[in-house]
Amino acid sequence: MPDRADLLQGTLDLLILKALFPAPLHGWGISKRIRELSYDVLQVNQGSLYPALYRLEDRGLVRSSWGISPEGRRAKFYTLTAAGKKRFAEEQANWRLFTTAVEQILHAT
Amino acid sequence: MPRDWAQNVSGAGIISRLQRRTTALLRRSSFERNMAEEMRLHIAMEAEELARTRGLSEAEAMRRARLAFGGEERFREEGRDARGTRWLEDLAGDARYAVRTLLHAPGFAIAAALTLAIGIGATTALFSVVHAALLEPLPFGDPAHTAVVWSGSFENSGSWMSYDEYELLTYEPRVFDAVGVYEDETKSVTGAGDPERVHAAQISQKTLGVLGISPILGRDFLPQEDVPGANDVALIGYLFWQRHFGGDPSVIGRRIEVAGRQKVVIGVMPASFRMPLDYDERGATELLTPLAATDSDYGAIPGPAVAPNGGSHGLYAVAHLAPRVTVEQANKELDRVTARLTAEGIYTGPTRFRMTAVPLRQQISGSLRPALLVLLGAVALVLMIACANVAGLLFVRGERRRRETALRAVLGAARQRLTRQFLTEGAVIAGVGGGLGMLVAWMGVEATRAWAPRSLGLVADVSLNSGVLAFALVTTLGTVLLFALAPTLSATRVNAAESLKDGGRGATVSRARLRARQIMVVGEIALSVVLIVGGGLMIRTVQRIMAIDPGFRSEGVLTMELSVPPSRYAGDVRIAGFFDDLRHRVERLPDVQHAGAARLLPLAATIGDWGLRIPGYTPPPGENTPGDWQIVTPGYFETMGLHLVKGRWFDDRDRDGAPIVFVISQRMADRYFAGRDPIGASMKLSNDSAQMGTVVGIVGNVEHNGLTSTTNPTFYAVHSQFHHSAQFTPRTMSLVVRTSGDPLALVSAVREQVRALDSQIPVAHVRTMNDIVRSSIAKQRFSMLLLGAFGALALLLAMVGIYGVVAQLVAARTQEFGVRAALGASPTALIRMSLWDGIRQIGAGLSIGAIAALMLTRLMQGMLYGVSTSDPATFLAAILITGAVALVASYLPARRAGRVDPASALSAG
Repeated sequence: MPDRADLLQGTLDLLILKALFPAPLHGWGISKRIRELSYDVLQVNQGSLYPALYRLEDRGLVRSSWGISPEGRRAKFYTLTAAGKKRFAEEQANWRLFTTAVEQILHAT
Repeated sequence: MPRDWAQNVSGAGIISRLQRRTTALLRRSSFERNMAEEMRLHIAMEAEELARTRGLSEAEAMRRARLAFGGEERFREEGRDARGTRWLEDLAGDARYAVRTLLHAPGFAIAAALTLAIGIGATTALFSVVHAALLEPLPFGDPAHTAVVWSGSFENSGSWMSYDEYELLTYEPRVFDAVGVYEDETKSVTGAGDPERVHAAQISQKTLGVLGISPILGRDFLPQEDVPGANDVALIGYLFWQRHFGGDPSVIGRRIEVAGRQKVVIGVMPASFRMPLDYDERGATELLTPLAATDSDYGAIPGPAVAPNGGSHGLYAVAHLAPRVTVEQANKELDRVTARLTAEGIYTGPTRFRMTAVPLRQQISGSLRPALLVLLGAVALVLMIACANVAGLLFVRGERRRRETALRAVLGAARQRLTRQFLTEGAVIAGVGGGLGMLVAWMGVEATRAWAPRSLGLVADVSLNSGVLAFALVTTLGTVLLFALAPTLSATRVNAAESLKDGGRGATVSRARLRARQIMVVGEIALSVVLIVGGGLMIRTVQRIMAIDPGFRSEGVLTMELSVPPSRYAGDVRIAGFFDDLRHRVERLPDVQHAGAARLLPLAATIGDWGLRIPGYTPPPGENTPGDWQIVTPGYFETMGLHLVKGRWFDDRDRDGAPIVFVISQRMADRYFAGRDPIGASMKLSNDSAQMGTVVGIVGNVEHNGLTSTTNPTFYAVHSQFHHSAQFTPRTMSLVVRTSGDPLALVSAVREQVRALDSQIPVAHVRTMNDIVRSSIAKQRFSMLLLGAFGALALLLAMVGIYGVVAQLVAARTQEFGVRAALGASPTALIRMSLWDGIRQIGAGLSIGAIAALMLTRLMQGMLYGVSTSDPATFLAAILITGAVALVASYLPARRAGRVDPASALSAG
């Protein structure tokens, strides 16, 4: 699939934090959100989302609770914690710094 | 690149994370349920979405949703990993699983654990022994720079020093910064509870300083106490202090009576205290008194001058090396001194005495070193065999579980996960094996302590110490890695499709894998041959030594040592009288055939020589007429069963006042009476005051100084007459009693006779002559027992190994055998076929083993006696034994080939 890019190592966590930033979502919702936000360019095994979510939860960046989805199903919702929000801001800044630097290198003559 | 999250954890974060993990652990099953539900929900929602937006059928939507999700099992594993408590749960789970699966295969588990236990246990126990003998720090201040100095004479390299030589050491060579000399003997101590015979030493004042030992209580001797007439002080050993004074610190200043003389206790030695030559039968010295010697006591010349022939040689010498001087340099200097003395013409002939410094470590355990290193090599081989066996067992197990492994790999189990699980299984076996191994090690050490003869010095002091335990731990862990990791890696590197395709029959074995196991078995058989040859050579050595005629009959003889104190037995007549009275009393006891006494018992103590004058014999220029001097009472010869070559034994006519008589050994008759009849000939001791005596008998040679050492010319003098030869009568004698029954049954009756004569005379070293003979070859017997045991262990382990391989081969070829049976092959032919594989390995193992043994047994050269390192009979026996055992081990499983039922073997395919 040449029109689709693999995720860079380590970026999935950043994307999840971004997807959760506006409002709590359940797992499938997060995956749908990332797909939508990236216009289907980023290709990820949907299942790989879950280990990443548990990892974030283990580090106290998200927390989860069971609730009822808009589709009327019982689902586990993930919410960004304060630490998660702070981390998101930090990682976003880091990412920008990193991509700018790489861009500069690539544009250098 | 974004930073890794995991590396940014604040202190507060750790606490809350720990809390979360604890809850996560507690709610493990609910976590599992939630995770499964969550993933199911995800796939369902994705499918719904696909059905709605793409108009797919429900089934097709579900299929695509699953595809998009990826391997559910893998993400679950990763999900569990992500929670951080994962490893703990896994460990517990794996351990439970491992124990469960091992219980399903008890044969495998028991074989593996026992094999490990033997390997680890034997290694640890023997390493403990090696540690005790070769590595344990010696209880001296600076053992590396302290040496025992010997003065060699004739063919004996380690003999006593003379006082002149000692003085020479303090004046001339600049290689030592301090020198001490001492004598030792067994002394009676009275006046402190029960009378007792203790191992005592008279030491020159600098001796303890040279050895770097100080008393734990009180003080060392002062220079002014080491002069004649001032030596009424004593240092006591720790155990003596405990026994007689209950460890009372106020012991300093108390009086004890040593050999009838009052001594003031001025100090207590540490519990670890030993003199450098105390590492034998006699054990630690328990009483120290000043030597208080003068030149004249030893026939020496004051100052650096040396008397012709060095005077009397009877001292042990210890010396501390000067700074930056090596033992080699010291010995070169000693040689130079000897050469100078010889050049000056002090010795009347070729150099008789040659001083040599021997470092303490070499003195104490040097003679054991080669044997211990060979044994350590042997035990390393056993450990190798044990590891090979367990690895082999795990190979078989890995093969049987290939289908299980493949199935789980297909279902998405991570490879590391499977490897880890096998590793856990290995760890469980290693844990059980290691634990049992520790037990075996402990029993081995205890057995060594109990059985190792004291003459092996430090070996008998072995203990399972922490260093050795650490060694065992490393061995255990190393073994786990060796046997668990290697096979699991190959077992998990499975080609799933292939394993599932061939029906997963456990017995499918790839050629390469089988070859690895076969090579292992060949190695095991070879190692067994090496060990059995080693054990066999030691058995032959002990047989050869035991076959030597010691010159006496040891069975049925009881011995004990007694000493009469000068206080109550002043004068030669009284000393001799006591032993004659005792002998007559004991002779009258029921079951006693003969009784007598001697100054030194053969094989129990080394005998020295005394210069003789024999009219009619002129020694070659520069040589003397030495004879080992044995002082005996009448009855000694008959009791010991010595062989009368000619003439007569001593009897009660040979008393003080009667004509002086001697009995000489065959060797002395041959050497000094060549060409004439010694009976009736005259001889005397070389001192001027000695009276002439007559030879009345010739006795067969007695191997007094060791069964394998040189046989010296020996003369026997009568105890009660000896003062006419040397102006003294030995006060310490060993009583010997011959009985028709059990010698030890006589002990109390004999003690009763001693008490009846004099209740103050302590009895020491109560032993049978058989014990003395046995302990004189303790070193060889010890090596024989250990090497033999290791050989047997190796053989047992090799048997397990070859049994496993043949069993595996037979199982692998069940189908083939079924076809052959269906086509008319007889069971015998099938057994022959499967035996053939085993036989090829046995043959290869035996040949390799024989060649390896030929090379390795050369290391044993110094341990053997009367048998060559390539003794054909031993090699042949080892090959035959190993071959026969290996054949039986391969025949047992091979029989199964003959019982293959064609129908079931074929239908299983």
